[in-house]
Amino acid sequence: MRYSDLWKAAGIVLLGVVTSSVAGVPGAPKANDYAGIAKLPDFAGVWELVFSPPRGGGGPPEQPALTPEYTAKLKAYQAAGHQDNPTANCLPPGMPQIMNQPYPIEFLMTPGKITLVIEAYSQTRRIFTDGRKHPDDPDPTFNGHSIGHWEGDTLIVDSVAFSTDTPMAQSWGVRHSDKMRIEERFRLTGPDTMEIVTTVSDPLALTKPFTSTKTLARHRDWDIAEYVCEQNNRNTVTDDGKAGINLNH
Amino acid sequence: MSTRIASTFAGLVALAGVSLAASPAALAHHSYAMFDMQATKTITGTVKDFEWTNPHTWLWVYVTNASGAQEQWGIEGMSPNFLGRRGWSRNTLKPGDKITVDIHPLRNGERGGSFLSVTLPDGKVMRMSGEALRAEAAGKAGDPKP
Repeated sequence: MRYSDLWKAAGIVLLGVVTSSVAGVPGAPKANDYAGIAKLPDFAGVWELVFSPPRGGGGPPEQPALTPEYTAKLKAYQAAGHQDNPTANCLPPGMPQIMNQPYPIEFLMTPGKITLVIEAYSQTRRIFTDGRKHPDDPDPTFNGHSIGHWEGDTLIVDSVAFSTDTPMAQSWGVRHSDKMRIEERFRLTGPDTMEIVTTVSDPLALTKPFTSTKTLARHRDWDIAEYVCEQNNRNTVTDDGKAGINLNH
Repeated sequence: MSTRIASTFAGLVALAGVSLAASPAALAHHSYAMFDMQATKTITGTVKDFEWTNPHTWLWVYVTNASGAQEQWGIEGMSPNFLGRRGWSRNTLKPGDKITVDIHPLRNGERGGSFLSVTLPDGKVMRMSGEALRAEAAGKAGDPKP
């Protein structure tokens, strides 16, 4: 072997070492990391929102208390008479509304991460539980950046960095700023029931945080199905909110 | 109709008008404002095609009108994902089936509507959770009053 070949071989070995050490950083679980998951509450499987009457007869759910600026945005939206919103064009609603869809969500538990496979609009949320912080200057996205930790049997998830293209509430007239922050507290309330308490705060859009509670049921015999919204979408909405439907077939 | 869907309906109605972010009365995909959710129309005809597709199933039906001419109707239903977990399949409706369908008709008078239920050739009635649809529409109409 010539010297040049020797150096080449050494380089390949070195590259291999570097590559394997990169693969060893947090986020790439080793087989024995999976043992720790068995000690956590079992969130794994396919869950769907339970639509049920408000509990306790305590009156209507809490409403977001909008600041004057965001009240004005809502009034303008209502005055414009929108017939529909961009979900009609298959745009996902983003957080927090993506968690309120009448389609199931699969929870995948892997070392350092819980992944939510959301059937509606084929969305995915990654909740990092490996101790990392939010990035210093994250790009805003529909579903934000989520980090979680356990307090007893409750998974507490903090999410930031949301695109302002999406609404805060069911009505697309209720907007949020890029300062919206969402805390979700997930816990099992029975063998196959989960409660999520969601608190939305936004120093620009809300005068105070507001909290909502939902219940999910685990469907052990379900799998997540494909949802390609663009497959045969015959609904349309224009930028100014006019709805249409395509009956050509 | 399952009791689950029934309780869905009750829950959604209870929330209608006050629904907002805290309400789970979320629409999967779009508003039902284009349909007259107060009106129910019954059409009888022959299945042209049943599109088992997202985000909605579409049932296409040939209907013979009063003057003997054949018209085509398009009926939007819940998604295959939703229906497939509730007793439906892509073979529930087949081309050539003689059926009767209840719909909420389009407001603009075009030949289309929102799928409520269908009576199959063997007399079996399949529902598409029209209650849930109506309740969702009611929830959707509940834009908050600032």
